[in-house]
Amino acid sequence: MKKDLMELLCCPVCKGELELDATREEDGEVVEGTLYCEDCDETYAVDDGIPDLLPPEAR
Amino acid sequence: MTDSVYPPSEDSYLLRDAAVGEVRRDDTVLEVGTGSGFVAKALADEARTVVATDISNEAVRAARERGVSAVRTDLVAALDARFDLVIFNPPYLPDDDTTPDDAMADALGGGETGREVAERFLDTVPRVLAPDGRILLVTSSLSGVEAFEEREGYEAERVASERYFFEEVVVLRMRPTP
Repeated sequence: MKKDLMELLCCPVCKGELELDATREEDGEVVEGTLYCEDCDETYAVDDGIPDLLPPEAR
Repeated sequence: MTDSVYPPSEDSYLLRDAAVGEVRRDDTVLEVGTGSGFVAKALADEARTVVATDISNEAVRAARERGVSAVRTDLVAALDARFDLVIFNPPYLPDDDTTPDDAMADALGGGETGREVAERFLDTVPRVLAPDGRILLVTSSLSGVEAFEEREGYEAERVASERYFFEEVVVLRMRPTP
C-alpha cells in the first residue's frame, strides 16, 4: 500500500484514526506492517502490501 | 487467480463500460467487492484515485496483483473519505438449499432475496460519499431491479442493461435523495 492510502482508511469498528507502523517498505510502498487503533486497542496487519481491516471476530 | 475469486464475466464488462462512461478525470473512486480487480484496473487511468475493497483475502490479493490499491474490509467499513464515485457489482443470486458455504458462494450469493448485500451497502455507503457523489450498482432481474429503483432514500436511473439468456443485468446510477 502507498502511504497516502492512510488518508482514506479508518478503524472498521469505531471509525477512528489508525496509526501506521511500517516494518518493511519497497519502492515507496508499505509491504509489511501494522495499523493500530488506539481507541479500540486493536492491531490490524498490512500483509503483502494489503491492509487487512477485518474486525477480529470476522477473521 | 484462484477458483474462489469471481472471474471477469459479462456483468463485469457491463459495469466496466458504464463506469468508464461515468467517471470524471478528478474523481476519487471506490470499487466495493472488486473480486479480481478487473473493473478497478480499467478505471485507474481515468480518475484521480481508485481504491478497491473486498472481504475475500484471495480477491484483494488478485486485485493487488493487477496493480489495484486494495483493502480487505467488509463493504466500506474501513474507509473514511468522500468518494465521488462508488461502484459495486454485488453478489445477487438468491441463496437456496444447495448453496455451499465457501468463498465462491459468498461472491455470488446475496442472501435469501439476493438483495441483502446490496441493501447493506446502500445503508452504509452514504457515510463515504461526497456531497455530489454517484453510485453505480449492478442489479439483476433474478433478484429484482425495481426494488432498488423504488428504494427509499435514493433516486435511481438505468444507465446500462443487457439481457443474457436467463436474466437481465441492469446498471443503476444512484444518488441519495437530499
